[in-house]
Amino acid sequence: MIGLSPAGADRAPRNPVGTRIGVDVGGTFTDLVLTDAAGRVFHRKVSSTPHAPDAAVVKGIAALLADAGCSGAGVVEVVHGTTVGSNTLLQKTGAPTGLITTKGFRDVLEIGRLRTPGMFDLQWEKPAPLVPRRYRREVAERIAADGTVLVPLDADALMAVAEDLVAAGLTSIAICFLNSYRNPVHEQQAEMLLLARYSGLKVTCSVSVLPEAKEYERTSTTVVNAYVRPVLEDYLARLERGLAAAGISAPLLVCNSNGALASAETARTKPVFFISSGRAAGVVGGARLGEALNIKDLVVFDMGGTTASASLVQDGALARVSEYEFRAGISTPSRFIKAGGYMMSVPTVDVAEVGSGAGSIASVDPGGLLKVGPVSAGADPGPACYAAGGTRPTVTDANLLLGFLPDVLAGGERRLSHESAAAAIRDHLAAPLGLSAEAAAHGVREVVNANMARAIRAVTVERGTDPRDFTLVAIGGSGPVHAADIAQLLSMPRVLVPACPGVFTAMGMLAGDVERYFIRPFPCRLDMLDLAALEAVLADLKVEAKAALQAEGIAEPDMVFAPEVDMRFRGQETALAVPYESAGAAPLKAAFDAAYEAMYGYVSHDVVEVVSLRLIGRGARPGKLDFRSAAAVTAASAPTGMRAVYFGPELGRRDVPVYDRASAPGRLTGPAILEGADSTVVVPPGAEAVADAHGNLLITLA
Amino acid sequence: MTEAAKPIDPITFAVLKSAFESIVDDMAYTVMRTARSPIVRDVLDYSTTMCDAEGRILAQAKTVALHLGAVPDAMAALQRHYGDDLHPGDVIVFNDPYDGGMHLPDIFMFKPIFAGARHVGYAVVICHHCDVGGRVPGSNASDSTEIFQEGLRIPPLKLFDRGVRNKTLFDIIAKNVRLPDLVIGDLESQLATCMLGERELLRLVAKYGADMLEGFLAEFLDYGERLTRSAFAAWPDGTYRFTDYIDGDGFDEAPIPIKVAVTVAGDGISVDFAGSAPQVRGAINSTFSFVKSATYLAVRCMLDADVPNNAGVYRCIGVSAPKGSLLNPHFPAPVAARALTGYRVADTVLGALAQIAPDRAVAAGEGGNSVVCLGGYDSETREPFIVVDMINGALGARAEKDGIDAITNPTQNMSNMPVEIMEATYPLRIEEYALREDSCGAGRMRGGLGIVRQYRLLAAEAVMQLRTDRHANPPYGLFGGGPAASSRNILSENGASEVLASKVTRTVRAGAVIRHEQAGGGGYGDPLQRDPARVLEDVIDGKVSPDYARSGFGVVVRDGRLDLPATQALRASRAKAA
Repeated sequence: MIGLSPAGADRAPRNPVGTRIGVDVGGTFTDLVLTDAAGRVFHRKVSSTPHAPDAAVVKGIAALLADAGCSGAGVVEVVHGTTVGSNTLLQKTGAPTGLITTKGFRDVLEIGRLRTPGMFDLQWEKPAPLVPRRYRREVAERIAADGTVLVPLDADALMAVAEDLVAAGLTSIAICFLNSYRNPVHEQQAEMLLLARYSGLKVTCSVSVLPEAKEYERTSTTVVNAYVRPVLEDYLARLERGLAAAGISAPLLVCNSNGALASAETARTKPVFFISSGRAAGVVGGARLGEALNIKDLVVFDMGGTTASASLVQDGALARVSEYEFRAGISTPSRFIKAGGYMMSVPTVDVAEVGSGAGSIASVDPGGLLKVGPVSAGADPGPACYAAGGTRPTVTDANLLLGFLPDVLAGGERRLSHESAAAAIRDHLAAPLGLSAEAAAHGVREVVNANMARAIRAVTVERGTDPRDFTLVAIGGSGPVHAADIAQLLSMPRVLVPACPGVFTAMGMLAGDVERYFIRPFPCRLDMLDLAALEAVLADLKVEAKAALQAEGIAEPDMVFAPEVDMRFRGQETALAVPYESAGAAPLKAAFDAAYEAMYGYVSHDVVEVVSLRLIGRGARPGKLDFRSAAAVTAASAPTGMRAVYFGPELGRRDVPVYDRASAPGRLTGPAILEGADSTVVVPPGAEAVADAHGNLLITLA
Repeated sequence: MTEAAKPIDPITFAVLKSAFESIVDDMAYTVMRTARSPIVRDVLDYSTTMCDAEGRILAQAKTVALHLGAVPDAMAALQRHYGDDLHPGDVIVFNDPYDGGMHLPDIFMFKPIFAGARHVGYAVVICHHCDVGGRVPGSNASDSTEIFQEGLRIPPLKLFDRGVRNKTLFDIIAKNVRLPDLVIGDLESQLATCMLGERELLRLVAKYGADMLEGFLAEFLDYGERLTRSAFAAWPDGTYRFTDYIDGDGFDEAPIPIKVAVTVAGDGISVDFAGSAPQVRGAINSTFSFVKSATYLAVRCMLDADVPNNAGVYRCIGVSAPKGSLLNPHFPAPVAARALTGYRVADTVLGALAQIAPDRAVAAGEGGNSVVCLGGYDSETREPFIVVDMINGALGARAEKDGIDAITNPTQNMSNMPVEIMEATYPLRIEEYALREDSCGAGRMRGGLGIVRQYRLLAAEAVMQLRTDRHANPPYGLFGGGPAASSRNILSENGASEVLASKVTRTVRAGAVIRHEQAGGGGYGDPLQRDPARVLEDVIDGKVSPDYARSGFGVVVRDGRLDLPATQALRASRAKAA
């Protein structure tokens, strides 16, 4: 536990002083972090309750308030990341949803973009569309590519179709008409008609979530929104009731896929922006931590039980993508694949994920190749060393055998069996590979590290960014066990382990800002740019953004607006967003050329065109967590013991001092193992580890 | 090289395999982000590969699979022309089907990669360009009669010579294609991708050393071979035959047979196409390298998912086709539409392999993408436009799974052009893009549904070129499963509708409506054994009509409900009749 000095308070004098709670709901655990008016930080992990996730949240908050001796009435905000959206997609438990399209196009959703995630796999199954064909209906209407109305909306046909769908028991309707991004009139008309006729019906029209070209991407995004909406609404209502019952009347903020915060109200109507709620918060936390420590270039690496993920913070800014696919099972780090998932074109923190985690099972294939993952032993039966029925070797078994992990995990809750781990590795890996058990276990670690390094490559090398200029931030229960090795693999010089890596995502939520995004198509050639028209559109967007931020409770002086221009060479499909700073086509062209060359290594002489204008409205949240104000409570003491750890064939097995992380020396040279309540930190031989006043550990690799 | 290769430990092997896969995916992503023409950037008709210094594939991205088996012959052409005359900064391009290429629109780009003075590999990018000149916009006509009509032939030439731009070659290409901005833009995209591949390979060489890479490759090929041979060894020895057909060659609608005999002997197989049609007048002739590529691919589809696609696999497969045949033509036979023949070669080989491994077999799919090409000049701006649209597709039924409605052909991994992008880019309106009801073959497992796409021309006139198939020879079913519906092309102009042949080149005028109804996938197993509840679901979804439920599956659906007694009676009488 770390103490927090109240120094942060005087940086933002408008801050209402009080208790703040961050909650990250995961599949196995719900993590909660509380900061109180006195500046203290408390955290807790409670078991998740997947059938009703709000139950664990309410229970955990009650326990945390008791820990801190605070009352519900003193809570000024609850910030929340939830997996309700992603679980709804994963388990297909969304609302019965209908889709109304332009005549001739009801199958756009099911046809999709046709590709498959793998090759040569004739047994692949395409995921079933969220709306089956029987509930996809067409009405006569047509807008041309330039926005002209070619065929007016047939309102009678629309009402007949709606009557049918409602009679079939559907509670949520998506509307997506062709070319509506150029002229939304028919969609808006249809939405009004449906809402006027059916009071309880949820209606999502495509331009309200994504006014952009490409009918499949827009339809899919709209359908995900419609499908998840009633479920997330119910959940948030239950959670708010539970919080009220606990005496908390503070506003509930929800973390969106882009790492920003929004009111629960926004999450209710536009849930598609919240599907990866929470996953991004760790990255936001990493960026804030970096800001506090004056480290601006970071890769945030999060390793859990079944997956590991990486994302980039460059010059203090989070890397974002404008679309992603939700896929059952494992998403590969290749952003090239566009198939086999539920496409959402919404701004999202660019997180690359691989199916490698502490529970990943290692095996040898018939050709003699050592493989790790993507199958995971999960929590049940768990790794072989849990001795709970699992017999296949996992990454955790390898780590135990090599000496990286203690015999007793997570504050004494679970004792690990060396014998079971050794037997699993010997029988399934060492024997078929003809290696010693130690070498095989080391191999498992090497292979899983290489797999996880792919996630980091995906957000660095694949974007033309050299990872060697970055500091690796290790979070998640297993992140600090592997981070140093992965950093070495990619020649990254430093690893930063925050004070509480295991609950860091919940902490990140307390460090977030409110953000809203606005986009308007603005197609033209850059050399024929009508600057006045561009400025007018940006001014419009700013008015919209201001109103939206005000609705989120942000005062005008706390608002920041960042206009961007999406541009590309004529004929390209993908645009690059360039900040709009100074007026005129020439500076825009220069900025585009520079950004393009940085990314692709060449610049074309062809015509540059503008695609759309974007505006990000950001509201600095009063009282958000500032890592600068955190202070570690430390009293250096001697190692708690020594352990033999195998560092590979070159370094061999070495006796390594093991420290309690809370009382480890402020500076030490590896090899060393630091054991904390929520994670184990491995400091490899020759590395220098320095703890700062806030409990963060900075490891400089040899 | 292999002789000198040092053995590699299993750990480094696994790490390097992952590293190469990451590089080629990164290359593929770069093409997608930087390419100019919709055929590349939206439809994704391209491939990216990393090879060693002898041109052996280290890894390929999840792009057009059919391109990859052609890399070895391409490499041989490069060697014939340049031998050791390759230097840092060189970039070689070519497209000549009779000198290492496949068909003229596919321009290969090879960038030899050097670590210091040592040649360590090649970055390879193959893109289908939207036009390379010739008599028809898009350079893809089925009814050319010699390669000289098909466009600009580029033998292996240096586009960059020790880093110096070859202005002559750039200018010749730009002058001989209809859309120079797009073609040069896509070449720039290939170039950027090659440079990225070079940078990343050199990063690996710096870390692991060139010798280690050679060690990796030797083991990687052996690994592919071991997996392949162990699979073949489990296949029963014998010769398995199959025949499939292409509708016609663009001049004559007489069916063109492709015959295959697959012989399994121990842990190797040989694939012989003797008895296939002699070479034809039109452009569906296929170079032998492409036939080998399609064959490898079909065999590869019957192996486990993890088997790499590399020369170690190919070593276990012998392929032969008579010289002067459709599958091994003499110069100067036209070859522009050869992709179709590649699809059919794959279908034919898969048909033979189905007899060996019925549990892994798949009934025939739509037969390869249907190409609809429209080219002309915008009425107002006089700017040229060329639409090369490729319509995909349907997978045939599997032993325990239905086929897939609307999916890329497995030989490719292509995407589609968004309707809104097409309408914003070209003088066209798309009037329908939908699943085609009843196009699936019946079976215990049904085939996938094909696609309908309908275009209205808004420009004054355009040259329309259709390369479609499976009109007269529908996709086959397996083990009692029925064939899929045949494809159809319908042209409506001036109030009259006309059913067209499968391969057409002609001029159409403003207001013309072109409709392609694609074939679906074949069925698998006896349709009378299909669960009637699943048939009902398809009827409710409008994927199968009540009529087809009855005729194809012996299932009676009335007013959206299953009539089980009537179904049982109908199925019993059908079974008796059979």
